Amino acid sequence: MISSINPTIKAFAIFIPGILLSFTFDMFTPLVYFLFILIVTFTMSDIPFLKWLKIFSPFLLVALSFAWMTILYTNQTFSYGEVLFTLFGIEITRGSMITGISLALRSLCFVCLSILFALTTNSTKFMLSLMQQCKVPPKITYGILAGYRFLPMFREELQILRQAHRIRGFSRTKGLKGRWNQFRRYSIPLLANGIRKAERVAIAMESKGFTGDTDRTHYHEMDVSVRDWLFFTLIVGVFFITVAFSYSLGYLNIFGKQF
Amino acid sequence: MTKHWKLKEIVLMSILGVVFGIIYLAFFLVGQGIRNVLAPFGLAPFGYEIIFGIWFIVSIIAAYIIRKPGVAFTAELIAGVTEVLLGTAAGPGLILAAAIQGLGAELAFALTRWKDYRLRILILSGIFAAIFSFTWNLFSSGNIALAPTLLVAMLVVRVISGALLAGVLGKWLSDQLAKTGVLRGYALGKELQKKREKGAA
Amino acid sequence: MKKEQLNPLLHMDHFSFDYESLDKPLLNQLNFSLMDKETTLLIGSSGSGKSSLSLCLNGLYPEAVEGVSSGNIYYRGKNIQDYQKGELSQLIGIVFQDPESQFCMITVEDELAFTLENRKIAPSEMPERISEALSVVGMDGFQKRKIHELSGGQKQKIALAAVLLLEPELLILDEPTANLDPVSRIEFIQLIKHIQAKQKLAVFIIEHQLEDWLDVVDRLLVLGKQGKIIADGSVTSIFSDHHSLLKKEGVFLPRQYSNAEDSYPTYAESPPRIKQDVLITIKQMGFHRKKHTILQDINLEIHRGEFIAIVGENGAGKSTLLQLMARLLTPQKGTIIFHDKLMDQWEEKELRKRIGYVFQNPEHQFITDTVYDELTFGMKLNGWTTAESDTAATALLKQFHLEKHKYSNPFSLSGGQKRRLSVATMLDETPDILFFDEPTFGQDAKTTDELMYMIEALRKNGTAIVFVTHDMDIVDTVDRAIVLYQQHIHYNGEPESLWKQADLLEKTRLRLPYRIRVLHKEGVSLDLVH
Repeated sequence: MISSINPTIKAFAIFIPGILLSFTFDMFTPLVYFLFILIVTFTMSDIPFLKWLKIFSPFLLVALSFAWMTILYTNQTFSYGEVLFTLFGIEITRGSMITGISLALRSLCFVCLSILFALTTNSTKFMLSLMQQCKVPPKITYGILAGYRFLPMFREELQILRQAHRIRGFSRTKGLKGRWNQFRRYSIPLLANGIRKAERVAIAMESKGFTGDTDRTHYHEMDVSVRDWLFFTLIVGVFFITVAFSYSLGYLNIFGKQF
Repeated sequence: MTKHWKLKEIVLMSILGVVFGIIYLAFFLVGQGIRNVLAPFGLAPFGYEIIFGIWFIVSIIAAYIIRKPGVAFTAELIAGVTEVLLGTAAGPGLILAAAIQGLGAELAFALTRWKDYRLRILILSGIFAAIFSFTWNLFSSGNIALAPTLLVAMLVVRVISGALLAGVLGKWLSDQLAKTGVLRGYALGKELQKKREKGAA
Repeated sequence: MKKEQLNPLLHMDHFSFDYESLDKPLLNQLNFSLMDKETTLLIGSSGSGKSSLSLCLNGLYPEAVEGVSSGNIYYRGKNIQDYQKGELSQLIGIVFQDPESQFCMITVEDELAFTLENRKIAPSEMPERISEALSVVGMDGFQKRKIHELSGGQKQKIALAAVLLLEPELLILDEPTANLDPVSRIEFIQLIKHIQAKQKLAVFIIEHQLEDWLDVVDRLLVLGKQGKIIADGSVTSIFSDHHSLLKKEGVFLPRQYSNAEDSYPTYAESPPRIKQDVLITIKQMGFHRKKHTILQDINLEIHRGEFIAIVGENGAGKSTLLQLMARLLTPQKGTIIFHDKLMDQWEEKELRKRIGYVFQNPEHQFITDTVYDELTFGMKLNGWTTAESDTAATALLKQFHLEKHKYSNPFSLSGGQKRRLSVATMLDETPDILFFDEPTFGQDAKTTDELMYMIEALRKNGTAIVFVTHDMDIVDTVDRAIVLYQQHIHYNGEPESLWKQADLLEKTRLRLPYRIRVLHKEGVSLDLVH
């Protein structure tokens, strides 16, 4: 199961193809890799399909609109091939079509990878693993963890603020100025409270004997095993195999250069 | 570098990173909205560019408040990680994007050896972040596939946005916060206190 | 009280501290010792620097806040500055006031492990130690729970467990019960008593409401407004000898030591209600969040000028009921009628003029940059002229003693000032009804008193007041108490007859007010009602 893979290794396994995908501009490579990530998601993790779909579907829309924009505004490097059709006086070529669809598929790959990581990783363990495997200083590790604890609190606080402002007769104002004021009225109290709490937490941590010393014991010993490297090899390896495959079929396109 | 950071400064950076990570995500929707408005005029690509500066703001706020090396970079990075953990269309690459923007923002402060935090430097920081992020987006979002004239126009808009929404707005927000008195224990709050004492004397 | 030989554990020698400069320091030339195995309680009004003192004792201040200090503190005869970083923090454990901001991890077990990791305890020993510490505070089995989902009382017990894992010699409790409901408060105090008896720790308690601590405490210190220790001695000697001095300092006097005129009931005298004058009528109301029922079958009437307290344990739906009556929430079932008109037919602007609501945290209500703007905000919204709103705002500033702070930022005010401002902002037009969500939480005696006098003045003008509160001494003074229990109104009537229903009080986890407790058992202040 992916949830038991060492978080740091997992992060790198997902990060590397995530970055390298940014360089491909053909349809084949991201499509194949997208299908691969889907298979990994539904065979190697216990993410429920419906939950996954709920998170994934809004991004589908974003990806489509992104593709649409690229199709309309492709530059010469990418607008190769014959004109397929004309829209608002803009000629849509085969090349721009392919580039657009490629970008959409690519962003879907990103989303899939992100979801895979986020839903199978415990954020505390991720930070602890970064500290133990990547030698991130404890001060930073625990400082960040303390900050993350406030996530649920902010949501509650926002709700109370909304009510309190209503009581003051301050209804949702329309227009840019109203929006601006609203942003200001929410952000200042929210941040002010956050900062005060940051200070208190830091003091509380130090008063429990925390000094930031790297010499400390670990309740959760995060180790890296063969299984973790196998996972890494699978995710990164398949990416390179996909690229090689795409190359041999003549699909591969990096920055408009066909190989 | 990190040895000079106090724990409370790190927790503050983290809280700022988390809050702005959420705000950053919300602004993807805002950008999409502006795009939809601009689309009929053929200006859709500028939808995100106009507000792009907002995505650098935490660098400027954190650096302006704490005033230590590495703060601008780290705060932005934390915000990026928050975005990815909460889920974003941009994917894990966003962490890299955040790091690069953060480096841009940090560069302005590095040039003054982390001593000057006047408005002009904050604006410069926003501009550098804009240039760095623009360069990165050429590759990461495949912007390089867009027409050159469009690209130049986009760059100009993004730089202006970085200067205003990150530099000017970032300073203004931090100053407002300082007035509430909660920054008493940080560099910005202390500066304010000194000014007050001078004013009183 | 133990009279065996006590050794000084910690000694303060002409110690002063301030956040900015030593001209008028917050803590001024303190000289006192804390003894081994002794329980000492420090009282003082809010803003007197009590909390800063606790952090000076374990050496985190002044460095952590870049404050300034002079004089010395010795721990076991050694200057605290000569201790290694973190060393002293492990000898002196502190439990802080705010349950929300003293943890850095998400789960209980990780938080407790954090302490052990700081002490470099071997991981193999940790599960057992964690489980032991949790059973001391009565929370074994909570290891995997998320801290933010626990109640305030449970959070404080976890905080205590984390500190006990340090195996400290001195335990400092910095108003640990200020944000807890009365029953959780008593439980926490009992727990401390139990631990002290068993582990023989030195305990230093900082409090402003000390009544329930009295039988735990060996010695009392009083910190005055000038930052000096103004009294030091046994409980009885201090309260009998320094009575007027303490009152002047705004310290909550334990009731057995206070004169009759000091206690709450003076607010109570009010004209008899005219029952026909109904303000709000609630019929068969029900409310749920997702699948979770919060309130059902609620029937209630509120009359003009009435003073009502809503009580019940945490999670009973008290705040929800308040929010429903103020139309901050809409019920899914039943109706609410306000002034012969259905609640949801009121125009928002008109309704807000007639209904005021004071939130638990006053900061949530502030929306402008100065006290003055805060006061005139509502007036401007209602279309008053500048001259009109200026006159009204000036009057309010005077009435609420905020003249000096006219141009201050609301966030920079002290706790009591913030509370006053949050009430003042509701009074631009005299509201028909004013709701308060736990207005006396974490406030000192003086602020509470001020608030109660303000409320009395409002009621004379016919404003109905509805409190959600845990303070049973306030409940003792109201016209009507409403007890919520398991989504229903369990009691609705005069407080006097509520106090007679022992079964009901026990079931709903309510405590008797002090007045009745004294009647029941002379001199015993810890009659926990279970």
